[in-house]
Amino acid sequence: MTDEFRPTLLLTMGDPTGIGPEMTARILAEGSIREAVDIILLGDRRILEMGKAQAGVSFEVDLIDVPGAADHSAKAIPMIDLANMDPATITLGKPDPKVGALVGDTLKAAVEMARSGAVHGICFAPLHKKAMFDGGYRFNDEHQLFAHLLGFNGVFREMNVLDGQWMSRVTSHVSLREALDLITHDRIIEALRLTDTMLRRAGTEAPRIAVAALNPHNGEGGLFGTEEIDIIRPAVEAAQAEGIDCQGPFPSDTVYLKAFAGDFDSVVAMYHDQGQIATKLKGFNKGVTVTSGLPIVFTTPAHGTAHDIVGKGIADTGAFVTAIKLATKLATAQHGVQSEGQPE
Amino acid sequence: MTPAPIALSCGEPAGIGPELAEAAWSELGESLPFFWIGDPAHLPGTVPSVVIDSPAQAAKAAAQGLPVLALSMPGPRVPGVAQAAHAPGVVAAIETGVRLAQDGSAGGVCTLPIHKKALADGAGFAFPGHTEFLAHLAGVDEVVMMLASDRLRVVPVTIHIALAEVPRVLTADLLEKRIRITHRALVERFGIAAPRLAVAGLNPHAGEGGRMGHEEETLIAPVLDRLRAVGMDLRGPLPADTMFHERARAGYDAALCMYHDQALIPIKTLDFDRGVNVTLGLPFIRTSPDHGTAFDIAGRGVANPTSTIEALRMAWRMAGGKA
Repeated sequence: MTDEFRPTLLLTMGDPTGIGPEMTARILAEGSIREAVDIILLGDRRILEMGKAQAGVSFEVDLIDVPGAADHSAKAIPMIDLANMDPATITLGKPDPKVGALVGDTLKAAVEMARSGAVHGICFAPLHKKAMFDGGYRFNDEHQLFAHLLGFNGVFREMNVLDGQWMSRVTSHVSLREALDLITHDRIIEALRLTDTMLRRAGTEAPRIAVAALNPHNGEGGLFGTEEIDIIRPAVEAAQAEGIDCQGPFPSDTVYLKAFAGDFDSVVAMYHDQGQIATKLKGFNKGVTVTSGLPIVFTTPAHGTAHDIVGKGIADTGAFVTAIKLATKLATAQHGVQSEGQPE
Repeated sequence: MTPAPIALSCGEPAGIGPELAEAAWSELGESLPFFWIGDPAHLPGTVPSVVIDSPAQAAKAAAQGLPVLALSMPGPRVPGVAQAAHAPGVVAAIETGVRLAQDGSAGGVCTLPIHKKALADGAGFAFPGHTEFLAHLAGVDEVVMMLASDRLRVVPVTIHIALAEVPRVLTADLLEKRIRITHRALVERFGIAAPRLAVAGLNPHAGEGGRMGHEEETLIAPVLDRLRAVGMDLRGPLPADTMFHERARAGYDAALCMYHDQALIPIKTLDFDRGVNVTLGLPFIRTSPDHGTAFDIAGRGVANPTSTIEALRMAWRMAGGKA
């Protein structure tokens, strides 16, 4: 890893009916985020002006055509203007499939730019998933959209990060019936490897990972299901043999309490609600969501578009700032790995 | 009016039950009259105990020590080692508690954990657990397990089965029964005139309009529609991951969950050791701590009595007492 490497991130304003534009404007006006990373803003200039007005801030942008043209030493923020969204046509606080389609187009343009190699990560303000879906981006989550746009066929996962803890899961946005079929030895090991890798890239030197059971009471010795015995424990042992510090399976109603108490840096859940119920109660919606495993780093604040407070200038930028900082760290670490040619 | 004292059945003597009874008295004293049904020789003796002849003496006795309605069992307690000879006495303690709760001399019954295998070996106990035995004693077919703390009440619609079994076992009929029993118990036992129930979906995001599963549309929603038509205040099917935060909880009195961990994860995360079991649908009040016999730590005096104390408080409040 080279100490001089400075990643370039594309910043997008997310769904403009929400708090994305005003958060973006406030963060860029404040400016300190640019000390550690080169930022290029991608989106519609008029939307940025709207966000600046909402946030009550002002700053200059330097309009460029391609990422390579950015002058990161200048005070003006480099911006690529897609000129694809007119504030006059959007209603604040109201999800709109037409807007969702444009938000998807912006992300698509961001991924294309990143594929050219000039950009190392994409950090996006909150999306409105239903508006995007209804607008024609028919993916169950944005992570699947990104993998699709990148033509990526490998292992990728959504992960939820708060205060250095990384929560991940073996299955995600699929029905419970499908999830049950997808919980396999290989997929558990893949999730463990990726979780271990991401924690290390984020700076945890010796990640400790807990694995949740699938069944009540950890299967109660096979009485309430045998997946713990047949699938999960063998997968945990196989991952341990690879040098991953993982333990489990643990009963899922208390495994998160163990992690929140500091016993583990991560919990790998078997299915969506198993992880999301506990982590949302813990406040992970104030954290960052990462699409892990893709060649480009993607991060976003875990909170939503906050339609109830749009335009009031009170949106908290904390999670978005954390998302940008985490993307910077991950892009730097990922660059080190890729430039040394180490396999994943 | 002050309710009758709560009966606390001894459960498995080899487990942590006897020490929990003493710890509970030590915490509650006279403030919440209850009496322990068991063999006084099994008590560790960390606090005084007072043998009583009838529940009516419990309130007064509680000033001096743990009130005990004595049952005689053969042989001493050996922590961590269940004895078949104790099994008939353990069953008798439960039967006594139920009888006293049914005839009104106890305000309700709180059961300390039993060891199912010890009871099966020593007393031919053929029930999967306490709850089924109590339903049998009461002559009731359908009961519901609720877990309750100060902040949340949850009812798992399916309980102790493999997750892979849930989509098959979860039927409209079962869901409707669980909702009806829960609704009635909230009115009759918790004094909530018009209970508001939240019902979780089975799938992520409650299926998100069918994109991630269909049970919400084909099974859950029709049951809710049917019960709304008879006047119940039901919300759902709701995404399970966004229905347990404080603001969401303020909108309902109990949440029905489709499977065990969907109910247990939120209550443990919110109130780790303060959740208690409440059996709904019985003709008497029954609560129990939410843990087992803990043979591994029995006799060491380190067992955490919080859940037992909360279970006694819950029974007392349900009986109309202040605590």
